[in-house]
Amino acid sequence: MSAAPNRRPFDAGRAAYLTLNALLLTFLLLPIAIVLVFALNPTPYISFPPVGVSLRWFEKFFGSAEFMSALWLSLWVASVVLVLSILIGGACALALARGNLPGSALLTAFFMSPLMVPAILTGLALFQAYLLSGIGRPVWGLITAHTLVAVPYVIRTTLAVLHNFDRRIEEAAAVLGASPTRVFFEVTLPLIRPGVFAGGVFAFIVSFDQFPVSLFLVVPKGETLPVVLFNYMKFDLDGAIAAASMVSILLALSVVLVLERLIGLKAYVKL
Amino acid sequence: MTTAARPSPIAWLIAPAALLFVLFFVLPFGVMTAMSFYSGNPVTNPNAFLTTRHYERFIFDTAGIFHEALWSTLRIGLITTVISLLIGYPLAHWMARMQSRLGHALVLMAVIAPMLTGIVVRTFAWMTILQDKGVINTTLMQWGVIEKPLPLMYNEFGTIVALVHIYVPFMVLTLTGVIGRIDERLEQAARSLGAGRLRAFVEVTLPLSLPGILAGSLLVFALSISAYVTPSLMGGTDVLTLPMLIAQQVGTSFNPNFAGALGVILLLVSLTIVVAYNRILARLAGGQGMA
Repeated sequence: MSAAPNRRPFDAGRAAYLTLNALLLTFLLLPIAIVLVFALNPTPYISFPPVGVSLRWFEKFFGSAEFMSALWLSLWVASVVLVLSILIGGACALALARGNLPGSALLTAFFMSPLMVPAILTGLALFQAYLLSGIGRPVWGLITAHTLVAVPYVIRTTLAVLHNFDRRIEEAAAVLGASPTRVFFEVTLPLIRPGVFAGGVFAFIVSFDQFPVSLFLVVPKGETLPVVLFNYMKFDLDGAIAAASMVSILLALSVVLVLERLIGLKAYVKL
Repeated sequence: MTTAARPSPIAWLIAPAALLFVLFFVLPFGVMTAMSFYSGNPVTNPNAFLTTRHYERFIFDTAGIFHEALWSTLRIGLITTVISLLIGYPLAHWMARMQSRLGHALVLMAVIAPMLTGIVVRTFAWMTILQDKGVINTTLMQWGVIEKPLPLMYNEFGTIVALVHIYVPFMVLTLTGVIGRIDERLEQAARSLGAGRLRAFVEVTLPLSLPGILAGSLLVFALSISAYVTPSLMGGTDVLTLPMLIAQQVGTSFNPNFAGALGVILLLVSLTIVVAYNRILARLAGGQGMA
């Protein structure tokens, strides 16, 4: 209120500033819009300008056994990762915030470290470990790898909620005679639920879009969607990729909307 | 009631995560490091011996590609970082100073939306824009500006453009936090003392946001030197980076030991950067005494 902008009729500096920012936003968003154009353009190869609207690429994508098995594998892996990382990450965050653990700051940093290490190296290290121990490349190995890089997101969002809510609510419940178990299930758990779910949504996206961690851990014929798309793109650039991209973008967007509904994005994107 | 120092029973909830991290994170990186010092697979091959030859191979570089790969990895990372900073700063400043909450939420969504779109998809988007028959070249040719398509892709240029697009959101989010914490009244004070808007920005806000600039730059640098998808699709045969070299060693040369050594080298480079990044952020959160 005190900083009410003193509006002048025309402000060249301000206009330039806003124009610049509008251009930068366009740079961020336009490529995604262009993918939609190519997904709907019926020409057999990527060409511009578009000549019409058709769904043939979506038909090709949804009709291709290779793409479909990859899509289902990705969805399956991401769903299992979502559940696992919610359970493991949520529990871990509770322990870090409420367990009176010595050195919990250091522990938190440790559990965040998969985000700090290049993802392709996490994939490489797991590949080497699986190779040496004779595990090979089963689907559960891939799921475990994805869970490892997804858990930090759940820990982060859950910790954010745990640090924000007033501990006295729990204490009040205890004073009023609730047993620790009851406090946990009736006070703590409902309060942290939005944070855990938000982290779960991140976990789903991290797994569904995961490439570098998957690269060395998938087997031929058992590849996830990003890996299949990557291999396809090395030789072919047609609308099928655009259609596949649209499907993943729409999945991600709907997930973001759910996230926004659940909790509001703002608190969880702090780096 | 709360026992001050002793861990409570809730502390046990850490066990599943600890198990996961020890078995599938700490141990594998140990294995990778160990493998990098072996001549072969020590489990299946009884003749495998300890050696530093993979590191020597990298250091002496008789093939003449490893130093070039390291150098182009760092060069691409550096250029990507500088451009991301130049693009990210205005956006971050705009977001941090925006009064309207709706506007802020919308810009935030616009910045995050690309982050939630997979790397493969975003690289594909840039391929459709930059290739010879892509959006830019066809448009320019139709307008008669150029006769032959410009070489926008399958080189370092295309790689950097796509990398910038992918990592700018990280820069924006880091910077927004830091700029938002700078007291706006400092700038207003400078202006009321007669400084122009630009001067108030250059002499007050910009120096105060320096830690954010550093932190964001380190983050983007660390991310872009470990990128694999974008350089291998956008770079064509022109670009060979360390992550691409690693994938080659695993995929086509099947030399996991040398891949391990390359991995250790990349890990050391990026961990150095990440430690610096955390130091700066910790100092930011600790004292505001940087000014």
